[in-house]
Amino acid sequence: MNADGTIFARKIRKSFGPKTVLKDVDLEIASGEICCIIGPSGSGKSTLLRCINGLETVDSGILKVNGDDFGYYETDTAYHALPPKKLAQQRTRVGMVFQQFNLFPNMTARDNVMAGPVLVKRADKRQSAKQAQELLTSVGLGAFGDRYPAELSGGQQQRVAIARSLAMDPEIILFDEPTSALDPEKVGEVLGVMKELAKKGMTMVVVTHEMGFAREVADSLIFMDEGNVVERGDAREVLTNPKEPRTQAFLEQVL
Amino acid sequence: MSGMDSALKPRLKRRSTFEYVSWVVCILVGVGVLSSVATNPNFKWDVVAKYFTHESILRGLMLTIFLTVASMALGTLLGLGLAIMRASTIKPIAALAGVYITIFRGTPVLVQLIFWFNISALYPNLSIGIPFTDIGTAIDTNALMGPITAALIGLTLNEAAYMAEIIRGGFSAVGKGQLEAADSLGMSGAMKMRKVIIPQAMPSIIPATGNQVIGMFKETSLVSVLGVAELLQSAQLIYARTYETIPLLIVASLWYLVMTLLLSYPQSKLEQKYSHTSARVPRKARKVTLTAPEGIAR
Repeated sequence: MNADGTIFARKIRKSFGPKTVLKDVDLEIASGEICCIIGPSGSGKSTLLRCINGLETVDSGILKVNGDDFGYYETDTAYHALPPKKLAQQRTRVGMVFQQFNLFPNMTARDNVMAGPVLVKRADKRQSAKQAQELLTSVGLGAFGDRYPAELSGGQQQRVAIARSLAMDPEIILFDEPTSALDPEKVGEVLGVMKELAKKGMTMVVVTHEMGFAREVADSLIFMDEGNVVERGDAREVLTNPKEPRTQAFLEQVL
Repeated sequence: MSGMDSALKPRLKRRSTFEYVSWVVCILVGVGVLSSVATNPNFKWDVVAKYFTHESILRGLMLTIFLTVASMALGTLLGLGLAIMRASTIKPIAALAGVYITIFRGTPVLVQLIFWFNISALYPNLSIGIPFTDIGTAIDTNALMGPITAALIGLTLNEAAYMAEIIRGGFSAVGKGQLEAADSLGMSGAMKMRKVIIPQAMPSIIPATGNQVIGMFKETSLVSVLGVAELLQSAQLIYARTYETIPLLIVASLWYLVMTLLLSYPQSKLEQKYSHTSARVPRKARKVTLTAPEGIAR
């Protein structure tokens, strides 16, 4: 069976020093699924997301991304860390969009978008420039390719960052609170791009506080608190009829 | 009160008595020093003028410039290597660089210079070859380690330790998010260093390096103890003969001053250029064009 675009996790544990951030988290995301993760800050939702593309390593548990053990290979007795090259290869298949955009300030918008294909995949420059232009156009920034990040608004930077992730042609794209650092009036333009993206069948995992986006776009919703997945289910179902009291309390606060 | 409209009256700065007094004192001291310098015959300004462009002084100046440029260039390269080693996740490599930096920053450069000059006392012969075999050649260390070589090695190795710390400081100024963005694109360590870390560390490294160049220019005078005929030693060689010690020290000092002033102009420009964060935008970026380059479909 083709497992491209799937994420599977069982009993994931992660601690930072004495603090356990993820407590036996299970996760199952199908190819093409749009999954939103919500929860109070410090609930472990960002950490979970960061584990999925190796920005954090899990302490124990099973984590399969695109059907492969992520960052490690399994033997009879242990998981062994993959060599950097293999890990990098796995990472190219999982895009990441950060809260703080993290565009490279020393590169133009176009060069940012081309960075992955040209520097990592050694793709043809001309071809990549053309692809970058198409991607920038698709996020509404076709005329901004020559600008540097410092000359773009937050919303524009985040859209470039999305284009940069897409340039690697990943099966999965992760969003870590993509609109939390934006001016309120810029949130809509980024969510708009993400909604368009959702129609294209790519697996999306979105850590967000935008309940409206979750309701409108997400297939599934996960509510996390204190390192546990408290509730999961159909997005609209969870948002309208939360079963767990903790979910109810949280949603009452934010809605 | 006069008929002047109060709303139009200028508002004057308060000047304290102290400010007026400081002016007077400053002018008095200045005039005193200048007249003494001008009238004291022991300064021998004619001798200063005579030797200022003397052939051996100019040759010394050239050697000073050469030592500065060469040891800064080599020191920066080695420093970059050390900084990269220091940032390594492999403990022994990071520790090795740490030990190097500690030793070379923790001992006086003058001592280091004399040490390298006398290295033959420690290793009379340097041999290149395959260990535990007879293959290879040996060279007499004394023949290899002339004063200029010792000076160059001493200054370079010392400067490398300081540059390593400057470059490391620049590396740590690059945000964690930048490294994560590079990682998530699957960049290799070397690629990340070349395309993300080093370009972004430059704004903090370049002005500090400029300062090091100015410092190094003066530091080269230390190698005069090895008998290297750089600027100071050239002056010393002359006054050892003529006993015109002060005028020749003034000649050397004036050249150091001239060169430092010449260097400090580009240095202040560099500092200005990199002082504010908007300077992270390369200069060409300030001329923004909204048209895509030719051949790119829109």
